[in-house]
Amino acid sequence: MTTPPTHTEQPTLSRRQLLQACLVGGGIALSGFSLLHWWTGSRLTAQTFIGQAETYNTDLAKLIRQGFQELGITPSEIKGKRILLKPNLVEPHQSLSHINTHPLVVRGAVEAFLSLGAASVVVAEGPGHRHDTLLVLEESGLADVLYEDHIPFQDLNTMGGIVMPNLGGQTTLATLTFPRIVKEVDWVVSLAKMKTHHWAGATLSMKNFFGVMPGNYYGWPKNVLHQAGIPQSILDINATLKPHFAIVDGIIGMEGDGPIMGTPVQSGVLVMGRNLPAVDATCCRIMGINPDKIEYLQKADQWLGPIHESLIEQRGESWRTVHRPFALIPEIPAHRGIRLT
Amino acid sequence: MIQEPYLYFLEFLQSVQLPNGGFPYHSGEEARPDATAWAIISMSAWEFARENCDRGRAYLVSQQTNDGRISISPTHIEASWPTPLAIFAWESVPQYQEAQSRAIDYLIGFTGQHFSNPDPSIIGHDTSIPGWPWIAETHSWVVPTALALMALHKVGLGTHPRAIAGQQMLLNRQLPGGGWNYGSTTVFNRELRPLPECTAIALQSLAGNTAFHKIERSLQYVSHELPRLRTPISLGWALLGLGAWGLKPANTEELARVSLQMQERYGPYPLPSLALLLCAVKASHGLHSLFRSLPQETPVSSTRN
Repeated sequence: MTTPPTHTEQPTLSRRQLLQACLVGGGIALSGFSLLHWWTGSRLTAQTFIGQAETYNTDLAKLIRQGFQELGITPSEIKGKRILLKPNLVEPHQSLSHINTHPLVVRGAVEAFLSLGAASVVVAEGPGHRHDTLLVLEESGLADVLYEDHIPFQDLNTMGGIVMPNLGGQTTLATLTFPRIVKEVDWVVSLAKMKTHHWAGATLSMKNFFGVMPGNYYGWPKNVLHQAGIPQSILDINATLKPHFAIVDGIIGMEGDGPIMGTPVQSGVLVMGRNLPAVDATCCRIMGINPDKIEYLQKADQWLGPIHESLIEQRGESWRTVHRPFALIPEIPAHRGIRLT
Repeated sequence: MIQEPYLYFLEFLQSVQLPNGGFPYHSGEEARPDATAWAIISMSAWEFARENCDRGRAYLVSQQTNDGRISISPTHIEASWPTPLAIFAWESVPQYQEAQSRAIDYLIGFTGQHFSNPDPSIIGHDTSIPGWPWIAETHSWVVPTALALMALHKVGLGTHPRAIAGQQMLLNRQLPGGGWNYGSTTVFNRELRPLPECTAIALQSLAGNTAFHKIERSLQYVSHELPRLRTPISLGWALLGLGAWGLKPANTEELARVSLQMQERYGPYPLPSLALLLCAVKASHGLHSLFRSLPQETPVSSTRN
């Protein structure tokens, strides 16, 4: 999940930090996360790739394959793997494509994984606001792509669940119920949208996994998670699910009052990587948002991944060359003080 | 005599019943209470496979907990949103009156988390009006409240304080421009967008207990959306919601056939969706009209407090 450390520091552990580390250590050890690195003083690093695409008519499969190559993802790593792609279809409306992961990004990702020898690729989503998932597919335009390309789809809202211990420990939820399909695939990929968010500041690859949690058990709009705390739930889900890859659709993103009522903004990028906090931190910089000011990213830092620029090796474009500040709304508390300066 | 293609799909429902009497969400899966309830409601409405319906009702009893709820699974008893569906499935069948009565008692005693709204400029709706949540100990939302309200009305408890409050809650969550979404009206002073499936369910639940002028814009919204609705959940509820207000479209069967044919493109519909659409075809005036023709209807006492 991470590349070898490039920086070494000697952190000092307080008694409380040590206790917290012990309490969650089992989960961290199982997940291969950072306890050993932390204990030995290494810092997490990661690579992210930024690919430019001015429009959705770009050859997106080719761009994603380029990203794979830059990130060291080889056919031998993907061959025979079962891939689950989780787009963001939280609340589609016709003619408002900036709300959702664009269908052509989904198509490009499917093609890219299959071209590297994936055994299967399934698209799966549990829309957060709508329980008519078939209408969600139709209104988002994804239904046509799935049908034309014979891509299977699974409704995660209604799928039977598997109960897993909560490895994040940020909420009071002792367990999390995931759809059973997450145990039937080899890679879980967040196929997110680049958007501002009026509760969380920004919604990117990590927040996208709210849509994995079945509405049958969490309600619409994922009530249990809102009740437990949005930043905390984002961390718990990601720490427990341990996703493998992220692709964020920022070709046209959403600024202002995201994640639904904002306005389209063209950033012209796809952002990709194995480490989701690093991908999201990079997206934030592109959006003109300081990732240190996004609560869930700040808490994820050096636990689930790196968010500081010096620890993220940038491939493809530099974030500075595609930097396009997203509009923020001062009246929204989650938008205050998060501007990257 | 039941015409095609409805007979074909009713026989399909019948064919996937499991040995324990329950029905699965998809053919080949294990039984689920929501799918079972919808299969029973639909087949009963068409007066089809009475014995299968009865086995399904018995399955629902087996899923009922001591407090009367019917949850989506025994491992998630907090997800008790199928309870109103079971109340419908047991409707008008004397041997299940006790089970139905216990489910009603549960609904009356069950609510979401409610609180004074600290800042209406952030969350626009009145967060203090009690309705019903999807999941225990969370806020109340439109669909579970509408389903619970329908169930209370069906059993003659439309004037119960919980039903009155539920009605008020739904009206409070109606968008200023008409329609409902999952249950938020404005957030940060911005009006959210309506959704046809939520609007239609709310309209169905308010039929017969709400003045027309209070929901007229929402009816207009669903009527406007109807021609483009092809999916069984949204189309099914739209037909029921309009029908409940005496506006069942003349081309209902044509719309339903188009929807059923879409399975050639998308594959077989989940059982609850298919059953809902079959109910919508059969219902003359919304969901409640499906039960009126059933014999032995014995409304539950309306003296509950």
